[in-house]
Amino acid sequence: MHPATPPTTGTPVGRAHRTPLPRRRLLRGLLAVTVAAPLMFGAAACGDDGGAADPNAPVKLSIFWWGGDARAKLTEDALALYTQKHPNVTFEKTWQANQGYFDKLATLTAGGNPPDLFQIDDNYLAEYAARNTTLDLTPYQESGKLDTSKFPKSLWQYGVVDGKLAGLAAGENTQGLVYNKTLLTKHNLPEPTTGMSWEQHIAWAEQVTAKTKVPGTQDPSADYKAFWVWLRQQGKDLYKGKELGFTAEDVTKWFDLWKGARDRKATPTADVIHEGNASDVTKQLVVTGKAATSWVWANQMPDLKKNTKDELGVIAYPGDPSAQWARASMYWSVFKGSKNKDVAIDVINFLNNDVAAVKLLGTDRGLPSNLDLRRVVSDDTTDPAMKQSIAVEAELTQKFGESPQVPIKGHSKVKSELIKAAENAQYGRATPAEAAAQFVEACKSAIA
Amino acid sequence: MALTTAPDPTRRGPGSARAHPQRRGPGRFRHSEGLAGYVFLSPWLIGLMGVTAIPMLLSLYLSFTNYDILTPFSEVEWVGLANYERMFTADPSYWHAVRVTLTFALIAVPLKLAAALGVALLLNRAWRGVGLFRGLFYLPSLLGGSVALAIVWVNMFNRDGAFNSLLSLFGITGKPWVNDPDWALETLMVLAIWQFGAPMVIFLAGLKQVPTELYEAASVDGAGRLRQFRDVTLPMLSPVIFFNLVLETINGFQGFTAAFVLSNGTGGPVDSTLMYTLNLYITGFTDLNMGYASAMAWVFLIAIAVITAVFFSTGRFWVHYSDGEDR
Repeated sequence: MHPATPPTTGTPVGRAHRTPLPRRRLLRGLLAVTVAAPLMFGAAACGDDGGAADPNAPVKLSIFWWGGDARAKLTEDALALYTQKHPNVTFEKTWQANQGYFDKLATLTAGGNPPDLFQIDDNYLAEYAARNTTLDLTPYQESGKLDTSKFPKSLWQYGVVDGKLAGLAAGENTQGLVYNKTLLTKHNLPEPTTGMSWEQHIAWAEQVTAKTKVPGTQDPSADYKAFWVWLRQQGKDLYKGKELGFTAEDVTKWFDLWKGARDRKATPTADVIHEGNASDVTKQLVVTGKAATSWVWANQMPDLKKNTKDELGVIAYPGDPSAQWARASMYWSVFKGSKNKDVAIDVINFLNNDVAAVKLLGTDRGLPSNLDLRRVVSDDTTDPAMKQSIAVEAELTQKFGESPQVPIKGHSKVKSELIKAAENAQYGRATPAEAAAQFVEACKSAIA
Repeated sequence: MALTTAPDPTRRGPGSARAHPQRRGPGRFRHSEGLAGYVFLSPWLIGLMGVTAIPMLLSLYLSFTNYDILTPFSEVEWVGLANYERMFTADPSYWHAVRVTLTFALIAVPLKLAAALGVALLLNRAWRGVGLFRGLFYLPSLLGGSVALAIVWVNMFNRDGAFNSLLSLFGITGKPWVNDPDWALETLMVLAIWQFGAPMVIFLAGLKQVPTELYEAASVDGAGRLRQFRDVTLPMLSPVIFFNLVLETINGFQGFTAAFVLSNGTGGPVDSTLMYTLNLYITGFTDLNMGYASAMAWVFLIAIAVITAVFFSTGRFWVHYSDGEDR
């Protein structure tokens, strides 16, 4: 029915697909006017075919993600694979570094030109979902177009905001404490282990500082994910419904814990802690050599390894590891106003459940969400750093607790306020109690 | 020098006299000429409307709404003066940003102008190779508000940066300048002051315009170097000083790039580099409070307009446009 559009081969230029549409419609219109009545039925039939229902109609899907060159390569390969199977679908790919990504995404949305499909994380998922920007994926999940049957339940549930599935986990990760193995071996120091208490961790770090002259641990008091794990171990949480899940007293205890650690020289000085508070992988103190441990996500191991010659190890954060959970490292979300919803859903499904695609993507976005395929990928992996992060997550998977709710609207502000408050205490400009009071105050207005 | 005549609105050259009779031409001619004028203006006019005027009016409207970027325009809610109220009564970080910006401008701008004038005085002499020095001192300004420069600055003023290595030669232990909340803003000020080339070139041009006979007369009257500077150079230079002061103050208030790069876009450490524009940016794009950020932008615009107006009204008392023809 559509001879005007040639089947695509190789890497087609998207523009070529757009142009035939209006021209065809124009021709069809002319045809209808000149030949009129006799061909009415034919024209009508043709009109039906031209709609979104035709599975072979050319579609150009815009897709946007953050990440480095390596991720871009893997993602482009996986998308090319999709085009191979569905020659009518081509992609308009845009990607950039994490810094500035969400500014760009917001601006694109404001400009009425958001991508059909975009990568997002739990820091922003609720911001977008609460503003009705993301498509509710629940109906597609129910109809089976989006297959989550092989996903851990808690993992896809970590994409539910206000009862709607706002994003589908593109991978799984969890908090990981990364330490410098080479440094410890050189000084005959024991490696830290999962299940050490926070006090034990600090005592261990103090010992590391004393022997190696490298501060034993980054002070994570400004790090929301460390604070979060610690809170869950106290039976609290970051959020409860639309409220904070903690009080100023909890924050004071947390800041006090780390003030003690700083006084014992278990951590670097405030200015170095500040350097490590940047979220950038390359600035983590464990790879810049300014501390023996850093608080990161377990799937960042390969990236960290690229930035240091030393051997690294990874374990869970201190305390009871059941406070950690199968976190969606990032999600794929579909823009609610997208004209290509069905295709976008199918692409998400493909990226998560197609053997070849998942094998291509590896653990770059975290462990594959599909458990069957996760096994396939971990058997295949040759990268030692990736193997380590798979091993620790596989071990922790058995201990994971229930997922918390996705952080609520205002979370990005809460994150930056925690950094400000913690640094106030670290630089000695405020006591832990003062900093905690300011923080809770600022949080309340941020999530109001 | 063209530069000195620019800020001198009172000068009446022969050009204006020649233009006069044309305005009295026949009506039809005038009309078509007016149309042609608009046609020639149109590239600028379209730019002004599309890129400046309309977006500005839109942001004025948005400042009275709860616009958050993600919500479509049609669903934006009118909130009246709520954003302005919040700014003045319930947002400590807003006032913190105002304080940081004022501190920055009040210290960096005068020092930058002083440095520019001082170096311009030195380079105004007929030394051998003075042209080379003029070029060298102007060079940092060419790099302007560039990101690359800010990155270099961060690395120079780290705990283990070049500046501390230099200090250690003298047995001084430096600070982690850019990562110390007590010094981060000062580091930014030094960066701003170091880029004194642009005002310096304007000062140089101004100095060249001072008639030498004034100095001769002054020295005949027994005025020393200092006295000559105070009673001849400064008054003769005052229009140029005024021009530089206005421009640099506005620039100072709008400082963004260096603070953004130095703090990874956070205004840290502990908000010490949270300049007004950076705070505005974070509010709009990170916290998604674009309506509130628009309100901040309008207050900022008005504040700068008021400050500039104050400069202009006090200028009457210290700026001398003494070409001998007017006043």
